[in-house]
Amino acid sequence: MSDKKFEIISLTMRYWFIGLIIFITIRILMETLRTSQHHDYEDEGPFGHIIFFMVIFLSSAYALLAYKNPNGFDKYTALLGIIVGISFVVQYNLFRLIFPRMDRILLIIVDILTIFGFIMLYRFNPDFAKSQMKYFIVGNIALLFFIIFTHKSRMNVIFSYILMALGCILLLLPIIFGKETFGAKSWISIRGFNIQPSEFVKIILIFVFASWFRQDNKFREHLPAYIFAALSILLVVLQRDLGAALLYFYIFIFVYYVATSDWIMVLLAGGAATLGSIMSYHLFSHIRVRVEAWKNPWRDIENKGYQIAHSLMAISSGGLIGTGLGLGSPQVVPAFKTDFIFATICEEFGIITGFCIIGLYAMIVIRGVSVALRSTEPYKALLAFGATVALTLQAFTIIGGVIKMIPLTGVTMPFVSYGGSSMVTSLALVGVLEGVAIGTGDNNDEDDPSEEDVYEEDVE
Amino acid sequence: MQGLERNLKKGLAILLAAFILLGVYYCYILFFYSDRWFANSYNPRVKLDAWEPKVIPGDIKDRNGKVLATTIKEKRQNPETNQKQIYYYRSYLGGREQAKSIAHVVGFNDAKLGRSGVEALQVKYLMGYNNPFYEKVYQKIFLPQEVGNNLHLTIDIDLQQYIDKALGKNKGSVVVMDAETGEILAMVSHPDFNPNRLEKVEGDVLLNRATEGFYMPGSIFKVIVAAAALNNLEGVSSITFDCQGAIEIGSQTISCYGGESHGQVDLNQAMTVSCNGYFVDITNKLGKEKLLKTAEAFGFNQDFIFPDLKLAASSLPLKGSVSAEKLALISIGQGEVQVTPLHMAMVASAIANDGIMMEPKLVYEVVGRNGRIQQKLQSKIYRKAMSRENAKIMQAMLKNVVDKGTGKGAAIKGRQVAGKTGTAEINNGDSEVRNNAWFIGYVIGNKSKIAVSIVIEDLPAGQTGGKLAAPLAGKILKKALDLGY
Repeated sequence: MSDKKFEIISLTMRYWFIGLIIFITIRILMETLRTSQHHDYEDEGPFGHIIFFMVIFLSSAYALLAYKNPNGFDKYTALLGIIVGISFVVQYNLFRLIFPRMDRILLIIVDILTIFGFIMLYRFNPDFAKSQMKYFIVGNIALLFFIIFTHKSRMNVIFSYILMALGCILLLLPIIFGKETFGAKSWISIRGFNIQPSEFVKIILIFVFASWFRQDNKFREHLPAYIFAALSILLVVLQRDLGAALLYFYIFIFVYYVATSDWIMVLLAGGAATLGSIMSYHLFSHIRVRVEAWKNPWRDIENKGYQIAHSLMAISSGGLIGTGLGLGSPQVVPAFKTDFIFATICEEFGIITGFCIIGLYAMIVIRGVSVALRSTEPYKALLAFGATVALTLQAFTIIGGVIKMIPLTGVTMPFVSYGGSSMVTSLALVGVLEGVAIGTGDNNDEDDPSEEDVYEEDVE
Repeated sequence: MQGLERNLKKGLAILLAAFILLGVYYCYILFFYSDRWFANSYNPRVKLDAWEPKVIPGDIKDRNGKVLATTIKEKRQNPETNQKQIYYYRSYLGGREQAKSIAHVVGFNDAKLGRSGVEALQVKYLMGYNNPFYEKVYQKIFLPQEVGNNLHLTIDIDLQQYIDKALGKNKGSVVVMDAETGEILAMVSHPDFNPNRLEKVEGDVLLNRATEGFYMPGSIFKVIVAAAALNNLEGVSSITFDCQGAIEIGSQTISCYGGESHGQVDLNQAMTVSCNGYFVDITNKLGKEKLLKTAEAFGFNQDFIFPDLKLAASSLPLKGSVSAEKLALISIGQGEVQVTPLHMAMVASAIANDGIMMEPKLVYEVVGRNGRIQQKLQSKIYRKAMSRENAKIMQAMLKNVVDKGTGKGAAIKGRQVAGKTGTAEINNGDSEVRNNAWFIGYVIGNKSKIAVSIVIEDLPAGQTGGKLAAPLAGKILKKALDLGY
């Protein structure tokens, strides 16, 4: 009977959830559009109520999951939902107080996406969610660190060489010490922690590209950056981490073009990439399999098409508002807690929710690029733009793969997918964006002379 | 730095465009395909669990309410728990041998082999996934076991079984549909199997030839060529061709059936006697683009996405460069053109229905618990294949075929039958040429026009559409008339 009770409650709660999700998304959209033109963050008005509704969403989802327990209502789960909810409020307000000029809506979007991850992971297995919460705490430290680091960083040549070396070493580690999982050799294991260095190198890439391309220099003066870009892509290809290679390429192309307007180079690089993909299609069987599975996953469901076919079946099983939290069977989807988490959210929260999530990532694009546009320094603008590209195109790549729009490449869904490396890197990238954001508007701000001094000193 | 702001805005536009594309694709693909993905036979969510089913699938009935498939409960020994438990399984036509006739259209739902046919595609209704919120909650609270909905098909089991017998041991397929509403009255595929005894299934018997069997159409393709000629050539009725029994195209000679020379023929006469030379000649005059355009209006090269059934796309490879020899072969339905019997029934229906092709329908209604009708068949126009005037001309030509041409065998006394025969020759590499005999056509019935499409495959040389398929079509259409259609 307790099973049926839970099912009925969950079926009913679908309407509550979908209402909350639509409300939150529309509120974020309204605020995104309203404030992205503004230059003064102080004037953005209170968004506290959006956070409040997000916390309600999280807590009620956890309260529902508390019913799922066969031994009756699980008070611990319900309590955890409230505590985690309150800590989101605390996190939001802390950052808001420390950095009054930060882009608060960006932080809100990140938090709602994280909340989706927390709910789904707890539904799969409470332990996943608990680990993810730890990663989120670490990620917030990274967020804080990168806000300050980005704000203060001026980046000189020597430092960027150090970063390049660090990046190459990080990428070499899994090739030497890593073990193969899912055909890719992109993980290293330190004291039981599995770390994916290619995630962290994304941050390095953004800093390196921004610092080299900030000056409108001649081609050969950018040369070290090109070499680093090519080398890092080569190294992740050697790790067989196709998703990372694609993402590095995107970051390079986008940042390079925005900095230099050099579309000839972009075409050349694009041509080289196309040639490279065609060659690798013919050379490597695992890439051929991916493309075949994308073209028609139903032909060979039991092998090649297995992942995509199960993903599509999960998405289509939910209908508009989902089967109800806890009532679907998302665990039959392979990699349900990492790459395919989007499919599982669609199954239990519905097609509308999936659409809202796509919209939330699109809003990160708007917020991120408007931060870049506000920045008066080219270096900072490129940093912000690079971070935006890294975050959003990663989301695009995995959602597109999961819904069979583009061939599947295994990358995580930022903020939602289970995994420490991904969570910390994604929050670090948000830190980069926020770091740029708190530096904008400095020029016409007399209230805070100390920061202005720092800025001028550094320019000189 | 020059132009940074402008470039950032460009970047914003590209990234946003990517996400808009993602959103649009997401909506589009789910709108059109989500029911098919869900119905996939590998979807574990809708598997019938023999021992502890979450939901008992509903019955499938024919249009007159005869039960075609139902779920049976039985006490059996569970090998896993070693206890007597209730075992659930699907039974077709009361478990009898006659279930063979509906094997492909109704399909099966088996714990091991998965699902097929209506059992697969309509699993959403059968398992009650379409139930509204209050119905789901009601069932959970008040019913000991959740139940799915019943499905009434447009199939008439009497006609279906008659066709099954009439087709006998022949391989092939027959589709009968109501040309004006698109309702499929019968859909038979041979060889068949007994869905109650799936353990005996072997070979390609599971293939539903009506919807997934690819056949060369042979001379029935001339209907499409004639439609293209009517649409595109001014004064086509005055164009004649002097048939000498054969026509040379490039390095290849195409002869008429039996090398017979038909003399001076116009479109009408050429259709009546099925003169190959005329159609090769008229296709040359038309050009491949115009033929392709008309054929696509008739549904060739289209992904058929119908809610009621899965239909493989018919292909007419005329894009890009096509040699004169290939085009000549295609114009008489040989070579690389491939069709399915159901699609040909749709073509016949479109002509009968004055040029309007209806969407094929298989689900008559969905009936929920307590007999509440949840969904009822609504006829839908699929596409406009040709103009009303040209369709009338075509109807008269096809009537001639049955009245005095190759399709005489299909005539029914006192009734207006129209149609076209076809014989596709298959060279399987080795010496012997095998024939596929075709007939497509329709009869003006008591209430509506009834279209039929017949293919009998793998026949020895000499067995033609006129000799074999046309008389069978006559018998089947007569039975349909007798049943009141």
